[in-house]
Amino acid sequence: MAIIDFINFYIVPGLLLGSIYAVGAIGITMVFGILRFAHFAHGDMATMGAFIALAVVGLFGVTPWTALPIAMVLTAILAVGIDRTFYDYLRKRPAILTVMASLGVALMLRSLVQVIWGVDPQTYQRGIVRPDTYFGILLRPRELYTFLSVIVIVVALTIFLRASKWGKAMRAMSDNPDLARLSGVDNRMVTLLLWTIVGALCAASGFMLAINTELTPMMGWFLLLPMFAAAILGGVGRVEGAVLGGLIVGMVEELSVLVMPGQYKAATAFVILLLILLVRPRGLLNGKVL
Amino acid sequence: MSHSPMSVSPATADDFVLAMENVRGGYGDADILQGVTIKVAPREIVVIVGPNGAGKSTAMKAVFGLLIVRGGTVVFDGEDITGWAPNRIVKRGICYVPQVENVFREMTVHENFEMGAFLRKGDLTAAYDRVYQLFPDLKAKRKTPAGDLSGGQRQMVAMGRALMLDPKLLLLDEPTAGLSPKYMEQIFQITRDVRDTGVSIMLVEQHAKQALAFCDRGYVLATGANRHEGTGAALLADQEVAHMFLGG
Amino acid sequence: MELIGLANYAIFMGILIGIYALLSLALNIQWGFTGLFNAGVAGFFAIGAYTSAILTSTPALNRMGGFEWPILLGWAAAMLVAAMIAWPIGKICLRFRSDYLAIATIGVAEIFRLIIKSEDWLTGGSRGITGIPRPFGDLPYVQSQLAYLALVVIAVLVVYLLVERQLKAPWGRMMRAIRDNEAAAAAMGKQVEARRLQAFIFGSAIMGLAGALFVHFNRSITPEAIDPMIATFLIWIMLILGGSGNNRGAILGAAVIWIIWSVSELLTDRLPTEVAIQAKYIRIFIIGLMLQLVLRFRPEGILPEERKRNPVGPG
Repeated sequence: MAIIDFINFYIVPGLLLGSIYAVGAIGITMVFGILRFAHFAHGDMATMGAFIALAVVGLFGVTPWTALPIAMVLTAILAVGIDRTFYDYLRKRPAILTVMASLGVALMLRSLVQVIWGVDPQTYQRGIVRPDTYFGILLRPRELYTFLSVIVIVVALTIFLRASKWGKAMRAMSDNPDLARLSGVDNRMVTLLLWTIVGALCAASGFMLAINTELTPMMGWFLLLPMFAAAILGGVGRVEGAVLGGLIVGMVEELSVLVMPGQYKAATAFVILLLILLVRPRGLLNGKVL
Repeated sequence: MSHSPMSVSPATADDFVLAMENVRGGYGDADILQGVTIKVAPREIVVIVGPNGAGKSTAMKAVFGLLIVRGGTVVFDGEDITGWAPNRIVKRGICYVPQVENVFREMTVHENFEMGAFLRKGDLTAAYDRVYQLFPDLKAKRKTPAGDLSGGQRQMVAMGRALMLDPKLLLLDEPTAGLSPKYMEQIFQITRDVRDTGVSIMLVEQHAKQALAFCDRGYVLATGANRHEGTGAALLADQEVAHMFLGG
Repeated sequence: MELIGLANYAIFMGILIGIYALLSLALNIQWGFTGLFNAGVAGFFAIGAYTSAILTSTPALNRMGGFEWPILLGWAAAMLVAAMIAWPIGKICLRFRSDYLAIATIGVAEIFRLIIKSEDWLTGGSRGITGIPRPFGDLPYVQSQLAYLALVVIAVLVVYLLVERQLKAPWGRMMRAIRDNEAAAAAMGKQVEARRLQAFIFGSAIMGLAGALFVHFNRSITPEAIDPMIATFLIWIMLILGGSGNNRGAILGAAVIWIIWSVSELLTDRLPTEVAIQAKYIRIFIIGLMLQLVLRFRPEGILPEERKRNPVGPG
């Protein structure tokens, strides 16, 4: 196999899947880091975001990529609402109860999608799109846009967290919540910002998976394991770790077909998860361990 | 650095920046403090010492609203702050440096100071100048994550973070715990320097002998109540206090 | 006729309630007494079901096995295999907070679902496994059902008594101490890790047994028989509603939820087909909502855990 074929058939799809995981894993790692619980509704929130984008496309006749920012805003509002309704009141009780509540939310979101949009696979646009060639690398426009969107999202989020007052407050809350409160950081504001960001990221990851494959009610649930593997691999609470972890998990999944039957692609994330917990639970970039 | 003249005990409560009187309370149902009275005058360094379980840190937390206070009053700067929430107390002008976990480890030194000034608006240049003047060692490390610093330097970051809000009263919970004697002296010296910028300081200390030697006044607590008080020198000279701590 | 039909339905329901009661008791060992979050209950259930099915069924052309082992051996193997899968997972994850165990157990359930679907030679793929013997299966219908009900009731009773006895032993007191105080648990160190692992393995083995009981009652199994997320969730809500930490609560919760679940299924099946599918998902939505309501308004469940008040003072 020529090296260019290897890039086109394994590296590009691996990076594509990996960057979708990365966007989801950022949200997981932020909730894990700041609110200190594993958010199991993350995948189904991504499903919901993807379907909201579908609804926006259907209602206003816009292109999918125009619908994406709208869907991100709507899903952000939904995420804040879910927090206020189902998570917030549990804050003073053991965090594991919030984990359980999030599992319930996952089920509710998925069944809502099934009630509203049915169970059959759907797509944003019909028709076959031919890839363009860039220096021998084959890329469809949607793949190119996916890469560009992920870069924009990661850069924007990094700038927000590194340079803005509230971004720093979020990092402080993740680093040392007691001290952040002693410094006068308002917990509620950080939580509101967090869910806004998480909702938007969920919509983005769900949308990008859907536009590169198809929309199904279960798509988000299948994202959950790789996203958690990515977040823990990178180091819990580490945004840059989640990106790195996402890319690694996506790449390993695509490459796994070289040595394993294709139907077990999804198992690689699980193996990575167990391995990292076994040998280096703080993750590659020294995150938290709860 | 010059020592400011020793303050003589002022005559009325108004002369104290902080007056906690006869405070009782604890974290749960049981009272750990059984009536503790501690006062701090302006620009005074007051140290609280006592054996393990005496309620030293608890007394400090009572000032900062981290305790359920069931009796007595805490008056700060002429205002009764008993039962206030910590974030309100911070805004009123008291900053607290916990004994452990007192820096943001993953954030840089400078970001730690920024977080200290989270509630402040306007130009902060003077505030940054002040902390970097007090802690010149940190100037070169402003972009280093606080978690990568030595224990003594971390303590400086913690104090610097607290000073960013320009408090009238600084509460230090065992700032020298786990530090080498060299660093202990340095922290004490810095504490004096901080006091000389106009801040009153209350600190809890495990190293009673050294702390009493450097403070203005001291309180000795035992089993949640006042046992002795006086100038550091007087307490050091006291037979009973000596017996308690100094292996007499 | 109506009456007989109703009685038959009641027996049928009784058997399923018993199987769910076993699952709920097993989860109570893990969550209620030890604080371990197993989000893959259905996975361990399926592992037990398939293990016993493969070992005891009649030989088939399309897959390996049908080994026609005695049924009781099949059940024992179901427990053993479930326990053997629980062991490494617990070993890796129990060092951390329960969130990690939850993620890993979701993984177990998902991976096992992949295996069931892909490994035709072992599990029959989507056709599943048939020809699974049923104890007392040769008796006439009603007697056979009654006999199986008795069998399930005995299993529930044995597990119930075993767990109750363990709880009164020092083991149980220690487990509760661990669950309620992570700091104390950390201080006890290695020993605690071993105890938590025991609880996780034991609970998982019981889940495997429940799977075996289910598969021999059903006489066949296909991948569609178990939707991991919904089954797991039903068991969680059974335990939380019944009262986690209370074994009688766990059994009661299994009965209440299973009756609500089945009756609502009967009702939605009568709806016209266009809305029937939607109604199916609305039921799932309501189950999710119910958990939220219980967590919010009655977190201790119908039968709360009996706690001896132990005043904890600081210092």
